[in-house]
Amino acid sequence: MKRVWSWAALIAGALYFLLPLIGTIEFSLRMRRGEYSLDAYRSVLSDPNFRATFGYSVAMALLTILLGVLIVVPTAYWVRLRLPRLRPVIEFVTLLPLVIPAIVVVFGYIRLYNTSSVLPLTGTASGTNLLLLCGYATLALPYMYRAVDTGLSTLDVRSLTEAAQSLGAGWARIIGRLILPNVLAAVMSGAFLSFAIVIGEFTMAALLNRPAFGPYMQLLGANRAYEPAALAVIAFAVTWGCMGLMQLISRLFGTRRQAK
Amino acid sequence: MSFLTLDHLQKSFGPTRVVHDFDLAIEKGEFISFLGPSGCGKTTVLRMVAGFETPSAGRIVIDGQEVTRARPNQRRIGMVFQSYALFPNLTVAENVGFGLRVAGVSRAERAGRVAEMLDLIGLPDLGGRYPWQLSGGQQQRVALARALAPRPRVLLLDEPLSALDAKIRVSLRNQIREIQRQLGITTIFVTHDQEEALSISDRIVVMHKGVADQVGTPAQIYNQPATDFVAGFVGTLNRFAAEVLDPARGLVRVEGAEIALDRPLPAGRIMLAARPESLRIAAQGIPAEITGAEFLGSVQRLRARAAGGEVVLDRFNEPGAELPGPGERVHLAAAQAGWLVLAE
Repeated sequence: MKRVWSWAALIAGALYFLLPLIGTIEFSLRMRRGEYSLDAYRSVLSDPNFRATFGYSVAMALLTILLGVLIVVPTAYWVRLRLPRLRPVIEFVTLLPLVIPAIVVVFGYIRLYNTSSVLPLTGTASGTNLLLLCGYATLALPYMYRAVDTGLSTLDVRSLTEAAQSLGAGWARIIGRLILPNVLAAVMSGAFLSFAIVIGEFTMAALLNRPAFGPYMQLLGANRAYEPAALAVIAFAVTWGCMGLMQLISRLFGTRRQAK
Repeated sequence: MSFLTLDHLQKSFGPTRVVHDFDLAIEKGEFISFLGPSGCGKTTVLRMVAGFETPSAGRIVIDGQEVTRARPNQRRIGMVFQSYALFPNLTVAENVGFGLRVAGVSRAERAGRVAEMLDLIGLPDLGGRYPWQLSGGQQQRVALARALAPRPRVLLLDEPLSALDAKIRVSLRNQIREIQRQLGITTIFVTHDQEEALSISDRIVVMHKGVADQVGTPAQIYNQPATDFVAGFVGTLNRFAAEVLDPARGLVRVEGAEIALDRPLPAGRIMLAARPESLRIAAQGIPAEITGAEFLGSVQRLRARAAGGEVVLDRFNEPGAELPGPGERVHLAAAQAGWLVLAE
């Protein structure tokens, strides 16, 4: 009897998640009347705006990951090494982006860095890009920090640091050559989550008026019938691809750890 | 002029004083052990020498150069940790070569030195392995090679054997001592294991509550303990309350038995002590009742009740000699030199 219920729950869940997806895929294939075709995909992929915005978002995502790593790895390392009592505080701070809506963050940015402020970042395209990048890094912070901190917990950070110091190494070498390579699997999983977030992000990019993939999806959705469905499927594929890569990489690095 | 001088070192963590007034002069090539229970400050002193802690007061001088406030990576000190602390992302050879790489040694020269060090520790073929592929003993030997590769001025060993099992512990400690002699490197070895300290040190510093209670050779520490704590911490000790009969001639009485110590004593009551191997069963002496016997191979260990307490005496195994049985009444005596007078 129990079996039946668990199967029922599973099927209900699967229908709940899969039906809309199947519906979207089916709809995206019906651009040509009376038969299935990939016309919608062709149309999307040949749109120069798709390529431009997708390229922009991928570039931003990679830069976000870089910025995130540069901020998070040294911070998490230092907190573990020297300020262990501050860890709950730092953890709370990194969780704030989950609680504060992106729209609040971006309005705050615009108020602080508008053209009549001391640091008029919104005055130029590159300045706005920088602002957007910082916003993305903030959004990715909870995932990045948790991942890296978990990675660090598997290391004896203090002994490794002291061993390296007694061998003459300075901070840059300790972090770059020893700490970062040892938490790479964790950094990668944080990085792919960041990637997925940035690719689909709408609020910040739209309000800062940057040509990112999120606003493009919205624009297309408002004006076309079949292409948004195709775009949604593509976005799904990209995100799932990221998750798959994440699994693969953490498993590749993981086997080495498990052998301990 | 000594090679490594620790001059009135002090260290406090907040209101807690961990190291009081620590003074020590170490000669070049000497093997010094810091011995004491956990929390006695031995590791703190070592970490101050390494530069991981800054002394609250006092000076550290290595080879005529004051390093009290120098950063750890400027001190040219090799360190081996209890947890091995090998870099998990680097191979054995890369681990050993790490310090040379930091120092900017060329690739070819590095390879030569790494091979030399791996030979020294007896693992010439394991250069390409990763640390997790090695046993604990092998990892600790690699850690030793890594610490020695950049030719440090001082080698610091922080309980390097504590994480290993008993058999490897003994063979590795002999190997460490062998390598240390070969290279003639000044070494400080921190341990809470008295047998380890006694077996490999030139000199031992017995530490207690942040103070060096006694500094001396293993034989001095064992045979002439300076304080009650040293006497009790190093080796086993049998204690007897004694009444001084004649302070000038050193005549005392324990449980009705008179013992002539032949050294000046304070008047009144004192605490006498003897090592298990100093005590023997004699025709007359302190009355005792045997409570048990253990056969340990080369040594026989007898337990007895005497002067209201438990007493242990060791004697060498003699084939044919019979062990006294439980309940047997005997008398215990020791040679004059075997009696220690403890400060009460």
